[in-house]
Amino acid sequence: MLSVRELVTAYGKIEALRGVSLEVTQGSITCLLGPNGAGKTTLMMTIAGILKPRSGSIRFSENEIAALPAHAIVARGIALVPENRLVFPSMTVLENLHAGAYQRKNGFDDDIERAFTRFPRLKERAAQLAGTLSGGEQQMLAVARALMSRPKLLLMDEPSLGLAPLVVEEIFTIIAELHRDGVTIFLVEQNAHMALKVAHRFYLMEQGRVTFSGDPGSLAEDEVIRRAYLGSSKS
Amino acid sequence: MIDFVQNTLDGVTAGASYALLAVGFTLIFGVLRRANLSYGPAIMLGAYTATWVFLQTGAGLIVLLVVAVLATVLAGSYVERLCFAPHRKGAAAAAMVASFAIWMQLEELATLLLPRHLYAFPALYEGGPLIFGPFFLRVESLLILLAAIAVCFVGWKVLYATRFGIAVRAVIDDPRAAELSGIDVGAVSLRVFAVSSAIGGLTGFLIVSSHEQVTPMLGMWSTLKGMLAMMLGGLGSLPGAIAGGLALGLIEAHSQWYLGPQFRDFIAYLLLFALLAARPPWMNTRSAY
Repeated sequence: MLSVRELVTAYGKIEALRGVSLEVTQGSITCLLGPNGAGKTTLMMTIAGILKPRSGSIRFSENEIAALPAHAIVARGIALVPENRLVFPSMTVLENLHAGAYQRKNGFDDDIERAFTRFPRLKERAAQLAGTLSGGEQQMLAVARALMSRPKLLLMDEPSLGLAPLVVEEIFTIIAELHRDGVTIFLVEQNAHMALKVAHRFYLMEQGRVTFSGDPGSLAEDEVIRRAYLGSSKS
Repeated sequence: MIDFVQNTLDGVTAGASYALLAVGFTLIFGVLRRANLSYGPAIMLGAYTATWVFLQTGAGLIVLLVVAVLATVLAGSYVERLCFAPHRKGAAAAAMVASFAIWMQLEELATLLLPRHLYAFPALYEGGPLIFGPFFLRVESLLILLAAIAVCFVGWKVLYATRFGIAVRAVIDDPRAAELSGIDVGAVSLRVFAVSSAIGGLTGFLIVSSHEQVTPMLGMWSTLKGMLAMMLGGLGSLPGAIAGGLALGLIEAHSQWYLGPQFRDFIAYLLLFALLAARPPWMNTRSAY
């Protein structure tokens, strides 16, 4: 569904992505692991069209999207839940959802109802300013906002960042639910334990390159990854 | 006491124009976080084009208003594409300097169109001022004040009750998140520029038709007064822009009367300096509207 080939993205002279290639297959949950500074967020931002790649290709459903602006990529069916959520703080929860549905023009009342069913907490706080929500609520709002564009592929950049364990649990339950509803998910996650429970395929990025790819089984087998990301050695 | 009341009325008269100018500046500043120095010269070009049409055809006020608005929108969109669209990501100083260069260009263009120092413009209102006992108030200023309030009211409605308004506020809050939500930030910015230029065209028309003349000072005058009023009103709030405009008019009128004409501008700038130094809580440089 999503096919990234030899992608290079640079900030000035510094190449943050140095030839990244990976695949996200339709209907899967794919997880990208890696240390801070590996280029995971840069990759997400490049796929979403916020950053322009220097070279390489990003194909989505067989169409090249690497040259498109971000709003056109949303129109193609890819939505990113950005790192640190980036909700619109001075707008209400409901207005945030409306902003997420901007390209739909109208006829999205059902989707708002669905968002409120999925996230009852957001319904309670519909008229509240997004900036006053807790971190977990903001994360839910960011996910709900991204879903308003009815994406085929949902990108999530560290959805568990800075959240309490119970809230992280809740977020992963939602990820599993979305997957069951037919959304393909590509997420960046530091919390490998949680990711192992839901993801079908893993990639590891280090210093701008993909250094490992495999299914959950081979991830758990890999000595280096286990020590770095699962915090235990094989017994 | 009589002087004080009459000065206040004079202050409101001048302040109404300042308020309208500040509303346009505030819209642009709110979305782009940039001061558009070319706003005044674009207004001037609009007013000059209307004057030129008047001289050529003797057209009526309504036609001249439409011409002024269209010409200002055209000039404003030109400024946006040339100065602000290329510098959207960072480089605030570059955009501001570029808008200063365009200032010169627009002024030159206007003076090429009409090279004399002064041209007459048809009057907005032919009758005399309203008189209450010893006081008088020009009907024109009342009309300008009403226009300012109406523009503010409509602007508020659009921002809070329409799809376009949601997009504008999303861009103000976080341009990157807006883009990720599928909002074309460039298109929204251009539209805000066009809308604020239309307000500028209306403002220019009202000012020159109430003064019944145009001079090449209009461009600089509009930028200075509009920016000053916007900053006095707290940078980035529509009701604040109206309040700032009226405050500037009142400060000017009273300081001119009590301290002498040479203090008219001095006190206003002194107050602005004090405000910028003290940064009171309503002088908000982050959120808008």
